Amino acid sequence: MSLLYLLARWLDRISPAPIAYAHCDIPCGIYDPHHAQLAAHTVVRMVDLINQLEKPGASSTPEQRQEYTNKLTRYIATKEQHSEIAKNEVRILWGDYFKPEHVKTFPELHELVWKALKSGSKARQEISLQAAEDLLKATNDIASIFWKTKGFETITAKAPYPTERLTVYPKFK
Amino acid sequence: MFPLRRFRIEDDSMRPVLEPGDYVLVNRWAYKFRPPVKGDLVVVRDPETPERFLVKRVSDLPDATQIRVAGDNADRSRDSRSFGPIPLREIVGKVWIRLR
Repeated sequence: MSLLYLLARWLDRISPAPIAYAHCDIPCGIYDPHHAQLAAHTVVRMVDLINQLEKPGASSTPEQRQEYTNKLTRYIATKEQHSEIAKNEVRILWGDYFKPEHVKTFPELHELVWKALKSGSKARQEISLQAAEDLLKATNDIASIFWKTKGFETITAKAPYPTERLTVYPKFK
Repeated sequence: MFPLRRFRIEDDSMRPVLEPGDYVLVNRWAYKFRPPVKGDLVVVRDPETPERFLVKRVSDLPDATQIRVAGDNADRSRDSRSFGPIPLREIVGKVWIRLR
């Protein structure tokens, strides 16, 4: 410990030195668009389930109506939650992963993120298969750019889930 | 304007040159008559939070009015890779000596 260091520390008592940060925010470097794609699949699935749900007719029993309400409520709650998860995952990629250099190479990123967030909101507010599909498409397009920035090619294949929608996957070497 | 200003270091993207808890004396006149050069240690205003200061190394000079900065430990550093180049006027000064 040098004399000047002790002097600087002593000066801190009179007037604290401002802090120069060597970094802030932990740049953990761990990102993956799969969370957003998965959440979008769930939203699509929930809309499908809601549309397949048989509505109780005039002659339905109270038990049938209760059963219907219970199922519908659960599907809607899950749709709400996963629309928000998808939006949040896209925000994380946008805010923390993508850099100005990426936007220069892929100028469509702006529009895609905007589309994902808007269709995510719409999918949440309404029972709209179109909005859910738009959300999934936007997350797929973002995933495709994400993997390109990582130096991986992608393949588009049917997802192995009940939604069976086309999904972008990285081709790991 | 007095040329020297002292800063206390926090965080570890500049290890081992600067450790958390070190003090640095910064020369605010260093770039009055000559531009920064690659490799200089500088204190700059954080482009994303102007009331904060960052200490980084000049990694590139894209033109006469801007610098790019980087931490010595790339994987632990938020720098020009995320916030882009920094205008020269945002440089507080060049690190003159380190006190430890």
